[in-house]
Amino acid sequence: MTIIDGAGTGAGAGRGPAAGPAAGPARELVVTGLEKAYGRNQVLRGVDLTARFGTVHALLGENGAGKSTLIKILGGVTRQDAGTVSLGGRKLPPGGVTAAQRAGVRVVFQELSSIANLSVAENLLYRAEPHRAGVVAGRRLQRRAAELLARFGMDRLDPGRRVADLDLAERQLLEVVKALAAEPRVLVLDEATSALSSADSSWVLDQGRQAAARGCAVLLITHRLGEVRDVADRLTVLRSGTTVLVGRPDEFDDDTMITEMLGRRVERLFPPRTPPGEDVVVAVRGGRVGERLGPLDLEVRAGEIAGLGGLQGQGQREVLRALAGATRWTGGEVTVRGREHHPATPAEAIRAGITYVPEDRQREGLLLTRSVLVNSSLSSLFSLVRRGLLDRRREAQRSRAVAGDTGLPEGRLHAPVSMLSGGNQQKVVLARALYREPTVLLLHDCTRGVDVGTKADIFALVAGLAAKGTGVVFYSSDLSELAHFCDRVYVMAEGRVRGRLDAAGGELSEESILRLALTHRADDTGEEAPAP
Amino acid sequence: MTDLQLPAAPAARPRARRRRPVPWDLVAALAIFLVLAVVDLVLQPALADLGQIGLLLQTGLPLVLVAAAQTMVVLVRGLDLSVGGILAVATVVTASAQGGGPGWIALALAVGIGLGLLNGLLVGPVGMQPFIVTLATWTIFDGIALKIMSTDGGTPPPAAVALATGETAGIPNSVLVVVGLLVAWLLLRRSRFGHRMVAVGTDAERARLNGTPVRAVVVAAFVLSGLLAAFAGVLSSGLTASGSPTIGDRYILTSVAAVVIGGTSLLGGRGGIGLTVLAALSLTLINDIVAAMNADVWVTTAASSGLLLVLVLTRGLVARLSGRRVT
Amino acid sequence: MTGVLAALRGSRTTLGAALFALVLFVVGTVHTAGFASGDNIRQLLVFASFVGFAALGQTLVVLGGGLDLSVPWLISFGGIQLAVLCAGGMNQVLAVVVCVVVGLLVGLVNGIGVTVFGVAPIVMTLGVGGLVQAYLLAVGLLKATGNDVPTIASGVANGALGPIPVVAVVWLVVALVVAVVLARTRFGRSVYATGENDVVAVLSGIDTGRVRMITYAVSGAASAFAGVIISGYIGKAYLEIGQPFLFASIAALVIGGASILGGRGTYFGTVVGAIALTLLNSLLPLFNLDPASLSIAYGLVILVGVRVTTTRGTGRGWGRRARRAEESEAG
Ligand SMILES: Nc1ncnc2c1ncn2[C@@H]1O[C@H](COP(=O)(O)OP(=O)(O)OP(=O)(O)O)[C@@H](O)[C@H]1O
Ligand SMILES: [Mg+2]
Repeated sequence: MTIIDGAGTGAGAGRGPAAGPAAGPARELVVTGLEKAYGRNQVLRGVDLTARFGTVHALLGENGAGKSTLIKILGGVTRQDAGTVSLGGRKLPPGGVTAAQRAGVRVVFQELSSIANLSVAENLLYRAEPHRAGVVAGRRLQRRAAELLARFGMDRLDPGRRVADLDLAERQLLEVVKALAAEPRVLVLDEATSALSSADSSWVLDQGRQAAARGCAVLLITHRLGEVRDVADRLTVLRSGTTVLVGRPDEFDDDTMITEMLGRRVERLFPPRTPPGEDVVVAVRGGRVGERLGPLDLEVRAGEIAGLGGLQGQGQREVLRALAGATRWTGGEVTVRGREHHPATPAEAIRAGITYVPEDRQREGLLLTRSVLVNSSLSSLFSLVRRGLLDRRREAQRSRAVAGDTGLPEGRLHAPVSMLSGGNQQKVVLARALYREPTVLLLHDCTRGVDVGTKADIFALVAGLAAKGTGVVFYSSDLSELAHFCDRVYVMAEGRVRGRLDAAGGELSEESILRLALTHRADDTGEEAPAP
Repeated sequence: MTDLQLPAAPAARPRARRRRPVPWDLVAALAIFLVLAVVDLVLQPALADLGQIGLLLQTGLPLVLVAAAQTMVVLVRGLDLSVGGILAVATVVTASAQGGGPGWIALALAVGIGLGLLNGLLVGPVGMQPFIVTLATWTIFDGIALKIMSTDGGTPPPAAVALATGETAGIPNSVLVVVGLLVAWLLLRRSRFGHRMVAVGTDAERARLNGTPVRAVVVAAFVLSGLLAAFAGVLSSGLTASGSPTIGDRYILTSVAAVVIGGTSLLGGRGGIGLTVLAALSLTLINDIVAAMNADVWVTTAASSGLLLVLVLTRGLVARLSGRRVT
Repeated sequence: MTGVLAALRGSRTTLGAALFALVLFVVGTVHTAGFASGDNIRQLLVFASFVGFAALGQTLVVLGGGLDLSVPWLISFGGIQLAVLCAGGMNQVLAVVVCVVVGLLVGLVNGIGVTVFGVAPIVMTLGVGGLVQAYLLAVGLLKATGNDVPTIASGVANGALGPIPVVAVVWLVVALVVAVVLARTRFGRSVYATGENDVVAVLSGIDTGRVRMITYAVSGAASAFAGVIISGYIGKAYLEIGQPFLFASIAALVIGGASILGGRGTYFGTVVGAIALTLLNSLLPLFNLDPASLSIAYGLVILVGVRVTTTRGTGRGWGRRARRAEESEAG
């Protein structure tokens, strides 16, 4: 068993008082017999769950198990068909966000709830704005927001910025602060760490721990078992809408948890490495994108999985976007398979066999009202044209195949993607990138929110492609994925590559990536550092 | 797991804080307005006089208000084709006063609120598409206006005429109305309700996740729209000293155009009345310039469309050249 | 099977509109003896096809996330320009082609303004429409031509293949072509993707600028063509001939289930919407109402008809209904 799960790099505060105050309905969040169906899709089939105040309770399950549905009911967003939720012995009236909030439930939603056209401060204090006769006191709002951010140690978020200008990780952090700010009795974190670096993840987990210490019941939903081991006092595993396992994390080994979640065993998360070839697929020399990136030197060989490491937001996203044609290189020499490659549009990149899984599936990845079929084939339509028309039979075949490859549930090919669970939505974006065998595959957090079993399948799939000669550029907020999946990691800081770590040389580990990244944070000289 | 000591909280360097973005839409709307104002001044130097400006503003006032009404609804990702109908109803109600008191003005405004409420209820709680709803209510309201008054005529209360054409303490009332509108908007935008409107317009589903009473906000936006459109009607009837059941239609597209020229997105959540007012005044200036040309109708038609196009195309070009993504 | 279900779900509003049209037809038949007569049905079909042609380009443009307000002026242009060219002795077929091509070019100008300059579609097409209007005014002044419609236009507009009007046949063919293009070609998919989410479309390799440009060009050409046959039917070409089609072209597609915010709808829906609108327009006057009551009745019937026959929200609304509909559509 070689499940290595990342992120939980020692969340600051230690385990809270597991033996909290006396149990009993007055000190618990109790969910009983919850049922919910969407059409004929019975999502929850009588879920029971008890989470004590003052503890962190992990909720686990594969993609589509019904976790988010459960918490949407908790949060009053969705109404259950049957069953009750009670808080401290009092029943929660179903189907009202305000009622749930008033009862002290705050949810960090998986697909986030911040409003793009409002500022950080306005989002943070949404519906709790300081005001005089209905007019929001702007300065007080800013001040309060700044105070809140400072209180929770997140003052790098600028309260005045518009949320539309934040990146995904920042929005996720904002979402967490917003929930914490309400001083909830029940705090639900639905994959709140999925886009975060290990440091930020530990911050979130730490805040969860502290909230629990203040007497809050924290529900933690995550696909990273390490996080569960780090902070959870108890756990519940859901499978197909029923509770299949309840207990303390230390009662079970990873294998048991995973088997209960998936109904099958996962032999290994990361596939064995195959040595990459010699041909250089992508070469960047002195690449620049505006002032934010470069000069950058980078090389990806055929069959190589090249990671982009470093702290978050050091230009990794920009590298991927420029290679994908989503932004233009403003300088430098970029070649793909020896040919000059300065794509002006993603279309050009795609024609050259370069496909891209963007960061934010909801904003950049998916036509939410369209089906899995339409979404997955979207960038390969040119290959499906026969005599001017789309060959729909071939499209269905290929879509079904690639949906299967990426672990999408069967029989949902025609469902609008908005009705899929978060992890399954992510798989649709991946399916599009893998629709035709790419020459170069650009992956930005491609397994965000994907369950362990599928993650293993996806890594195997990508490794298989690499074995056939595809060059992969891989970015992940999860350090362990970089360390264990990549052949080589380029560690970036401030828009430049600061060092290179090769798996073959035995240099590549979570620790070495982190050390290199942090070095460059510490001595901020802007000088090129020698590779270690 | 590594035993490396991690900094507990902000690992990433705070990125250099970006400068507050230039309020592009405002700059562009202002620039367009100023260009037109200069052109108009060159053509008619007599305009450089508060009284003259007041007169010009008077004629533009109904459009300013109808466009403001439209903005309310567009902000929540709706569209209100019935503003013209509401305006027409308001003019005929006002003009039914036949020399009566200002109570008729209040009545017209109340009717506007009621009609807006009807729109809002159909769109919000009933859940129909705003376009269909207001297309239908537009013809209904036009019909109602025709029922009240089958042709142009009537006499509005003197208060309405004074409101539209008079002056207070030496300042033309039209100027005061515009200033009042802007102040009201600034308060509204900064009010808690303003935040709800932006949220609903940006993303109704996420607004709901935050506990926003989405339908109520939509209803309120339509009510405000009805009120403003009715106010436009009152002023219009004061201006012409009569009521007109057919006057509304010409405002419908123009109001949407003013909203969009001002930079408010039809997709909701962005923009506001301030920009709309500028745009509506710009359109008024275009009309004034064109009228001053004293040319054939085809020339004036070409000039007004051409002027508008040149300005918006230039704005687009500048935005593009300055590297701002246009969509 | 699921495919069929998905298709049905997509067209549920269209089915509602069809039901609406059916009800109107039945009411007409019951109320007036001649309503279901062959002649009347033929005439209704012809009228509906006018709306259908006017709304053809509009549908594409709206699906792609835009709006074309120059449609009515291009319709007038098609009629007047054809008359002018033919009066000048040009070959009639060639004249029709010229009109349609110029319409296409004008549409292209709209497209360039919207995509290259980033001007909001409403403003761009309103402005271009104004320029076309000015041109037509000038033509009317410069050459006080008789606006007699050339025989080719009236021939097509009034011709019949057996019992079926030529125009309706042409419409049917065009509708099928458009339906296939939208549903079964790369371009069609690209239009929907562009209209639903521009960013996603671009990142997926779709040249959204070109897609939108084409929709506006088609709209220009289709509108000019509509002008040719409409003027042919009326027997005169004049400035205001296009005016009724401004809102009709948009209303048809919205009644047929499209969202004016883009990305959702079909031309089939527009066809049904056009028929429903036409029925409504010809039915209401039969009740001998005064203009005010007619106007009120028109609005009420649209409201009630759309509300009752559309059993579900569009998912784009705000109401609980829309939400419930969305939830229960899964599975
Ligand atoms: N709005 C909706 N309409 C229809 N079906 C839905 C909707 N939301 C969720 N579902 C379905 O409910 C099931 C459970 O989804 P849910 O989001 O609860 O999964 P999850 O456990 O949170 O998965 P993940 O780990 O991927 O986030 C899925 O089959 C999904 O397709
Ligand atoms: Mg989920």
